[in-house]
Amino acid sequence: MARPVSRLAEIPVRIEPAAQGAEPCAGLGGGVAALLAELAALLAGLTDSGRPAAIDLRSLPMSPQDRGELERALGEGEVRATIQADGVSIVRETGISGVWWVEHRNARGELMAELLEVAHVPEILASSVDEVAAAARALQARLGLSHATMSARSET
Amino acid sequence: MDLLTFARGPALKAALVIFCVGVVWRIAGFALLRLRRDLNAPRASIGKFMAGGLKAVGTRSWPHPEFIPRTGAGEALGYSYHIGLFIVVLMFGPHITFLGSLVGFTWPGLPSSLITIVSVLTLTLFLAVLFRRLTHPVLRMLSNFDDYFSWLVTALVLATGLAAVAHIGAPYERLLAWHILSVDLLLVWFPFGKLMHAFYLVPSRAINGALLSRKGAIS
Amino acid sequence: MSIGNDELTVGYMLMKHGVSRRGFIKYCTAVASTMALPPWMGPAMAEQLRSAARPCVVYLSFQECTGCLESLTRSFAPTIEDLIFNTISLDYNDTLMAAAGEAAESARAKAMKDNFGKYVLVVDGSVPTGAGGAYCTAGGRTAVETLREAAKGAAAIVCVGSCAAFGGIAFADPNPTSAWPVSAIVEDKPIVNVSGCPPIPEVMTGTLLQFFSTGQVPDLDQHRRPKAFFGTTIHDRCYRRPFYDQGKFAKTFDDEGARNGWCLYELGCKGPTTYNACATLKWNGGVSFPIQSGHGCLGCAEPGFWDKGSFYSALSTPAWGKAGETAPHRVLELTAGAAAVGAVLGAASAGLSRLRQHEREVDEDRTRS
Repeated sequence: MARPVSRLAEIPVRIEPAAQGAEPCAGLGGGVAALLAELAALLAGLTDSGRPAAIDLRSLPMSPQDRGELERALGEGEVRATIQADGVSIVRETGISGVWWVEHRNARGELMAELLEVAHVPEILASSVDEVAAAARALQARLGLSHATMSARSET
Repeated sequence: MDLLTFARGPALKAALVIFCVGVVWRIAGFALLRLRRDLNAPRASIGKFMAGGLKAVGTRSWPHPEFIPRTGAGEALGYSYHIGLFIVVLMFGPHITFLGSLVGFTWPGLPSSLITIVSVLTLTLFLAVLFRRLTHPVLRMLSNFDDYFSWLVTALVLATGLAAVAHIGAPYERLLAWHILSVDLLLVWFPFGKLMHAFYLVPSRAINGALLSRKGAIS
Repeated sequence: MSIGNDELTVGYMLMKHGVSRRGFIKYCTAVASTMALPPWMGPAMAEQLRSAARPCVVYLSFQECTGCLESLTRSFAPTIEDLIFNTISLDYNDTLMAAAGEAAESARAKAMKDNFGKYVLVVDGSVPTGAGGAYCTAGGRTAVETLREAAKGAAAIVCVGSCAAFGGIAFADPNPTSAWPVSAIVEDKPIVNVSGCPPIPEVMTGTLLQFFSTGQVPDLDQHRRPKAFFGTTIHDRCYRRPFYDQGKFAKTFDDEGARNGWCLYELGCKGPTTYNACATLKWNGGVSFPIQSGHGCLGCAEPGFWDKGSFYSALSTPAWGKAGETAPHRVLELTAGAAAVGAVLGAASAGLSRLRQHEREVDEDRTRS
């Protein structure tokens, strides 16, 4: 064992430039193919039984190269939605219909969660049933109209 | 106190003390013995028979050619697992740290994955050696409690060490505790069984060689 | 849920504080991710909680340093975590609440009475029993009394921090206040230990959130810690593990190895025997954890970690007695002393043998002549 330094002044000081060209760390490797296979199975499930599903990307170790490979494999779709709720969340349709790349960030912009959702539309985009009902009541109140009149009007 | 703290703490302290007392007792007890008085005239000078003693350490380290077919395999097995044990005990990082805390200095070690391979090979050789002892009629007749217990105590250390590194069988801290406890057991048993050959081997061969040289009988 | 109908739901409380339904879904999704729960559980947890009645939580602090509460309220998403504690649930916390003295105590008594059998008791700090419990008294009552009384109506007890879970620093040798963990005082209620000194804030809130949304105590290990966070050791998830496997260890702080980020095993890291989420969740919102900052793990989430040998001695080194007793020169003193005893015994044995040998030779000489 080297002699331990016992005084602060004894620790030698050396200035080093920042590490150049850090090696890519281990990641999914061939796992992108496995991920696509899992997505295929989940999409089949969605088609057959309408059952949505999701894959938590944070649970998979991904190097920057892996991310790039995954993004290229999935491609880009037509829809890009931004949710402003306690920070920004981005919901992107990928080139594969039914597969959505969802990124949740908190108010400080830090990534909280990242998922690949397999659904017709990610649940978080839809308005909830009770919120819609509450909004309908509130709007009616604002317009000073009764519920009966509104229903009658909507049926004609 | 949990098992691991006990194993590294009071158990290790007691084991080290017993080991030191026992080993020095046996070495001093043996070193301070008087040789039987030899009324013969010495056949060679003192220098010659000391050299003969040292030569014997070398020549008795491998069987004479006429015995190799019968005992060569056993000797080779023995040497192999001893080399394996030395590599594992002396070249694995955490072991070097342990020994370093006892002697005050350390040395460079080998990659831990290499040590794992060597340990597996050594444990296999250990099992082979036990098998040989149980199936060879002469060996089986000669074997006593000391032989089997010394084998068990060393094999336990190897097996528990491997289990700890591989995280097999129990939570890691318990495996580590059993490994350290098995080392404690080895330390306690060491001075009282045939494991003392570690210290007796060289002096014993040297003294026998020297005595034979004095009689002019060394080959 | 309709506004104005049921004011005491979690969802309503959240909305009142500006957290929308989607914001809460996002948060629960993140928590589910940290707990390695399936992704669908995030929105499910959120829905469950939003329509659930506001759970009641009573937070009792005993012999503690307040580090656990500080950790919680300094969590990286202070809005949500602090919110959960302050507004969703907290009916009593003597550090955070605005009320004090009799008003605070009667608020607690009322909350406990109104929610008897249903509230969650969160405890931090150990419970001293020495001197009749006098070492920790508040409002004229000892910690032991307060804990026993509060435990009667609790649905479950969450022990936050190593002090409440295992006794912590007060429990360490010589334990002058006769401190005990909560589980030694209360034996008839479900207990969840969220240990750590302090615990990671996300671990604390994740456990509470899971409890509130499922109504059940999560899967626990043999020390009653949630397996979701305490299921693996630091060593198993440490990013410096490749260096351990290659046998590359830092020998002292700030040497070449340390600067290159090598394994800290030889500098006393207790990562291999410590179960916690530090290596994956990390601290301060994933910024770093002790090993990443160059210091070995202290093992603070384990029982009795203060008494397990020096923080700077490797796991494979001796760890007996008080501090300093296992320094190399002290060990050498011990073995040298033992060797001296052995030498004396050896000399005695050899002496006996020589005596017998001499007698035999005298006999031989006599018979020969």
